[in-house]
Amino acid sequence: MISFKNITLLLSDKIILDNVSLNIERNITSVIVGPSGAGKSSILKIILALWKPDYGEVLFDGININKLTEEELTRIRKNIGIVFQNNALFDSLTVAENILYFLPDKKKLSDIELKYKVEELLSFVNLEGTENFFPEELSGGMKKRVAIARALAIDPKVILFDEPTTGLDPINAESILHLISKLKKSGTTSILVTHILNDAITIGDKLIVINNGRIVESGTVDEILQSSNNFVQKFFYQINRGNYLLDSYTNQYGLVNVK
Amino acid sequence: MPRLINIVGELQGFTVLIRDIFVNIGSIKDNWQETIQEMYLIGSKAFLIIFLGGLFTGVILAIETGHQLKLFGATSLISRTMSLGMVRELGPIITGLLLAARTGAKNTSELGAMQLSDQIDALKAFGANPIQKLVIPRTVAALLIFLPLTLIADITGILGGMLVANQTFHVDFSSFWKTAIGALKMKDLFVGFLKPFFFAFFISTISCYLGLTTKGGTSGLGKNTINAVVLTSVIVLIIDFIFTKIVWEVL
Repeated sequence: MISFKNITLLLSDKIILDNVSLNIERNITSVIVGPSGAGKSSILKIILALWKPDYGEVLFDGININKLTEEELTRIRKNIGIVFQNNALFDSLTVAENILYFLPDKKKLSDIELKYKVEELLSFVNLEGTENFFPEELSGGMKKRVAIARALAIDPKVILFDEPTTGLDPINAESILHLISKLKKSGTTSILVTHILNDAITIGDKLIVINNGRIVESGTVDEILQSSNNFVQKFFYQINRGNYLLDSYTNQYGLVNVK
Repeated sequence: MPRLINIVGELQGFTVLIRDIFVNIGSIKDNWQETIQEMYLIGSKAFLIIFLGGLFTGVILAIETGHQLKLFGATSLISRTMSLGMVRELGPIITGLLLAARTGAKNTSELGAMQLSDQIDALKAFGANPIQKLVIPRTVAALLIFLPLTLIADITGILGGMLVANQTFHVDFSSFWKTAIGALKMKDLFVGFLKPFFFAFFISTISCYLGLTTKGGTSGLGKNTINAVVLTSVIVLIIDFIFTKIVWEVL
């Protein structure tokens, strides 16, 4: 569905992505995972053609998006929903207005149909009754769910998540992952960028591990966990270490391990 | 040298924005709601400051010129000075400077905050054009509302001057008004009413450009907002100078 062919991205002469090639398949959840500053979010910006790579090609359904005019790009972008790391909701608009802002052909719909659409999407993200709230009146987790509802409103072919659980408490993070799982079950193509390994392993069908602008490994969760690559082993060791510490802590204090 | 390259780069970026505004101007029909909202924000919210700015400029001008003209027994000329001064120069420039501060700061801070919080990227990502959605409504709203605001400054200035002329220099209201209106030629009205359109265009486009190119977090936003007010104020003064020069030497 989306292919990167030898993509190199430079910003102020610094190499952000170095000869990156990858394939995102349809109807699965692909997770781009790596440490902060590895170039993960740059991949999303290139998919949306917000940034143009210095070298290489980006293909969306076989079309090289770097050669398109702004008008043609707009048509491509209407197939892609995105949930930004900081949500990027419009402060001056209510939740309902935010959700409907990018809805195609909304002028053809009646007020009742628009209201129903908002209620349907808010129900999907478990935020019923918040239509008239402004973003500043919502918690971080609620804002994230509104951002997901806004992305779903355009009925996208693919939905991108940029660090969807970063900065959220564990309960809210869990509910966001649950929403992404619901989308996964409905066959939506998702691309998720994260540095949180548990998220990647919980949600991903395919993992793409990136470090210093280069892809170091890609494959299913099992393939990645069994990888002999030094960086992958070192990076994923944190999970085992985290679990080991949790086990030690619960054993020491006689607590119930909630894992 | 890097500074010069930077300036050239900014001018290039600004020129591209102007081109994009003209290319996308047809989209205004889909964004009337935003345009009307901007007109309300620029117009009604600036009404009081423009009213007071015009009124006190007129009052001060009348006091200063009145005392000088009184030396020659020519206080009847206060009205002529007032109408020409307010309509041709002071009305537009007071409105221009006040709106450069108010509208310029508003545009840059709003669009800059949107830029820093990825809202501009969100617009692009979902297939909307930020020029169509944000810049054109603000520019058209400014073009439509600056002239009425300038007229308010002109009229309140002349009325303020009339009050001073009557109370301090004993000039009759009706003769003041007749002389004031009679002194205005088509050329004066043309210049006085044309300036606001140029002020509106440059204040709006420069402040939007600085908002859209904001980077460097909150300090960058503060810096760009100050730059917007300073730059648009200077542009207002330069445009005013060019018009005055043309009026006296060409027309």
